[in-house]
Amino acid sequence: MPGVYFTTTEFLDDAKSAAKDRGMPEIRMLALPANTYYVGRASKQQLQPIADVFFDKMIDALTRPLTAEEAKPSQAQQLHEDANIKVTGRDFLDASEKVNDLFLSNHWADGLPVVPPTPELVKAMEAETKRSPKDVIGQVAPKNGTATVEKIAINAVMAGAKPEYFPVILAAMEGFTNKHYDLTHVQASTGSFTPVVLVDGPIAQELGFNSGIGMLGHGWRANSTVGRALRLALLNIGQTWPQVNDMALTGRLEAYTFYTFAEDTAKSPWEPYNVSQGFQAGDSTVTVSSSGNPVIFGGGAVAPWTAQGVIDQVVTQIRNRGVVWPHAQKHILVLHPDCAVELANHSYTRRSLQEYLYEQTRVPYEKLASHVSFGQGTEEDFIRASIADGRIRPDRAQIFLDNLKPGGRVPVVQSPDDFHIVVAGGSPGYDLLFTYPGTNWAHQTVKIASATPMKSGK
Amino acid sequence: MKGNTHWLLSATLVVGGLFFAATCSAQVTLEVMNPRGEIPPPKTLGISPRGGSLDGKKIVLIDNGKFGASNFLDALADMVKQKYPTATIVMYPKPAAQTITDLPKWYPTVKQQGDLFVFGVGD
Repeated sequence: MPGVYFTTTEFLDDAKSAAKDRGMPEIRMLALPANTYYVGRASKQQLQPIADVFFDKMIDALTRPLTAEEAKPSQAQQLHEDANIKVTGRDFLDASEKVNDLFLSNHWADGLPVVPPTPELVKAMEAETKRSPKDVIGQVAPKNGTATVEKIAINAVMAGAKPEYFPVILAAMEGFTNKHYDLTHVQASTGSFTPVVLVDGPIAQELGFNSGIGMLGHGWRANSTVGRALRLALLNIGQTWPQVNDMALTGRLEAYTFYTFAEDTAKSPWEPYNVSQGFQAGDSTVTVSSSGNPVIFGGGAVAPWTAQGVIDQVVTQIRNRGVVWPHAQKHILVLHPDCAVELANHSYTRRSLQEYLYEQTRVPYEKLASHVSFGQGTEEDFIRASIADGRIRPDRAQIFLDNLKPGGRVPVVQSPDDFHIVVAGGSPGYDLLFTYPGTNWAHQTVKIASATPMKSGK
Repeated sequence: MKGNTHWLLSATLVVGGLFFAATCSAQVTLEVMNPRGEIPPPKTLGISPRGGSLDGKKIVLIDNGKFGASNFLDALADMVKQKYPTATIVMYPKPAAQTITDLPKWYPTVKQQGDLFVFGVGD
């Protein structure tokens, strides 16, 4: 079916890249001027001058006979990325600097210096798994790059990770490449979505992950380099680059190390988070998720707080925020240990807290928005469309339908399971809410099973 | 005097040689591995043949759901109706939960409804 694809000038490279990735490099595209399209798109009248300019171009794209290359483009060839590179310098530092220059100019690095991934260092990394270097962990979006154990190990070396961290990194990559994790969205969206990487179980303490004060900050090699290894692996194996096919408009917070931290299972009043996800007590796991910019609650060291007050603030935040995809959200609520203990003292379990949040965040039908920011129509229209197209799961759809009437209370998430409760942080501490606008589209918990036996026995 | 000259020349050569050797031996070559993933090339396809006029054709305007896309497509629709009165416009809002990579799910519906399509506005 003949067609034409409209994009804007800022996204033309991205669109061409995607067309090539999907095997249709010759799709006819027209790029509207970004500097006038986005400011004028609020009305048809404002866009009319642009439509006037592009109308004839559209007709031409729809009717002009194909060139030979458009009709039968050359088959894309496999590009091999397996040859080692030799770099010579006056001394080690000079050679290392040249490696860094080369890698960054090739878009193989993140802008900070990397450790040169020599075969010896990569082999030492690979020695921490029983898997073969050529084993395929999965395909990395958006370009569908093949994540072998060896490629992940190369990136882990570059990040400065210790070899004993490698099983965590491998398990995380299993999560990122799971077909239910929307890695294309997380890697390429214009929104500043950033992966959340949660390490749980005995391995967290054994490897020295920080789960206390400063858990998202610098200073802990495990947090920093596991996160960075994943950053580099996603960048290099999925082949993304800002302004080309990573279109996060303001970049990503925690761009270099992601939100990488561990749960403080010792101070938690509840079972470890991974047990709530169906794993056995004592299992070590890594959860890979995604979030927009997190929101902080509580008083920390400067203001009084109560646990119920924190939860009330969380409820208000979730009910009032105008997220672009309402009613299909996922939240990770990270409670600092004192807050979690206080809640437990008031008889909250993790499950009852999930159910409380689910109930309290429901929105009265009368308060549904008159329009949504993504797409068209009212919020009710959007919910009904979400049911029709499967974004709201069929097994939860009836709850929404039953409440789309006067007096109804419409859930903002699909089930209590969409509130993930984790305990981490300092004493005093703040509480964090990570939110992602897509239930189960970017949340996977994976057992760290490919490790050689460690002290923890896992 | 001649002996002294020979000694000085010899010493210079020895020192120079040692310096050259030291310089050479200090060079370091690092062999590093390529961190990039290999991409299995997709089967490359051509685009659909086209030709002729829009007269009498059904044109599906696919709204990708991004804010403002419908305004732009509406403006185009008005111009098509004015300039090609025998053409038919079909507005098709792409299912919001599905991306362009989910084509097999929604493209058949588009194909059923028209002869040509216009997709916009992508970002």
